Amino acid sequence: MKALYVDRQTWQHRLPPRLKLIVLVTVSVAVFLLDRPLPLAIAALAGAACYFSAGMGLREALRRLIPALVTIVAVALFTLLFQSAAEAVTALLRLTALMLFAGAVTATVSITQFMDEITLAATPLEKAGLARAADIGLASALVVRFVPEILGRYEAISQAQAARGVRPRALATLMPLIILTLRDADSIAAAIDARGFRQP
Amino acid sequence: MDIRFNGAGARFAGRQVLEPLSLTLGERRIGIIGLNGSGKTTFARMINGQVPPTPGSVSVGGLDTVKDGRQVLGRVGFIFQNPQNQIILPIVKDDIAFGLKHRGLSKAETAAATEAVLARLGIAHLAERRAHELSGGELQLAALAAVLVTGPDWLILDEPTNQLDLKNRKRVAETIAALDQRLIVISHDLALVEDFERVLLFHEGRLAADDTPGKAIAHYREIAGA
Repeated sequence: MKALYVDRQTWQHRLPPRLKLIVLVTVSVAVFLLDRPLPLAIAALAGAACYFSAGMGLREALRRLIPALVTIVAVALFTLLFQSAAEAVTALLRLTALMLFAGAVTATVSITQFMDEITLAATPLEKAGLARAADIGLASALVVRFVPEILGRYEAISQAQAARGVRPRALATLMPLIILTLRDADSIAAAIDARGFRQP
Repeated sequence: MDIRFNGAGARFAGRQVLEPLSLTLGERRIGIIGLNGSGKTTFARMINGQVPPTPGSVSVGGLDTVKDGRQVLGRVGFIFQNPQNQIILPIVKDDIAFGLKHRGLSKAETAAATEAVLARLGIAHLAERRAHELSGGELQLAALAAVLVTGPDWLILDEPTNQLDLKNRKRVAETIAALDQRLIVISHDLALVEDFERVLLFHEGRLAADDTPGKAIAHYREIAGA
């Protein structure tokens, strides 16, 4: 149950979690409205400034970026292949900015704070009789909580396969990963119920 | 506050995994033993309503585990086999406080209850620690604190000393022995239940013995050929 939250006291940690989440939502919308490289590059630089000052060591900060960065580069390459170089650059900068801002928020908002804010934001849905706000908050928090867990399990499965002389392949790794994750999800759901969080 | 099984069994996917049984549990220390897959955990999970009885009924202090599920969950705490999956939030004190959400407590009351349970188990120093940094014994105690803070009358512990080294096993066993709650302990560690008042032995989905620890353990050794 490793956490993505970094327990430090940087200037970003001192900001209210609600403000950080609102800024993230605003930036997310803004970068999708922008389509010129210069403002997007400025947004990416601002994101990098926030991300690298969120209290992580440089190595840890870079390690966290790799999975998302691989996806972003793949998207940019496909865009380059099927559209144009300008659009590929736009996609690259837009997604990079988004990744860096989201990474900074994830590192400076604890799961408890995140759960409380999402629960509060979902209160109107509860009032409208559509869903329980606490369930939405919990589900969102569990997604954040599970990310490092799933990555850790992926590494463990790859290492186990390598130890048996099997060259790690995506499909061979993904199948046990999905099965183990679903099994753990069942156990965690049972634990949540046993602690009386969700009303039967 | 007795637990009553009234002709209660368990069925999964059309298969009867626990034969119907009727008994009353009222002792302070009850052990459950048996081979893997014998029905021990299913039996225990029926007590807090995680597994609904088919057929029959189960009640805790007169509350039906199906109809009054929420109240039953408040009275029966459950510590799962793998404490890793029991910990919901990464920081120990946050995870303990998690169980108190929606109970109408203020932040100060939640913090006080969290501190009190940590102090009671002698693990106040773990409050700010991340769960993934804890040793097996510390993790088990943190999981125990997270359940105890909710104030259950009964506590079910599924293999509480599983995968622990000798030092941590001793520490967890001593902590468990000092608890005020009525305990039901599922264990392959027979030493853990040998001083209990009553031991239930399950075998192939049936209650094979309901006796004193000495007799139930002797019967278990016969079944296991050990």
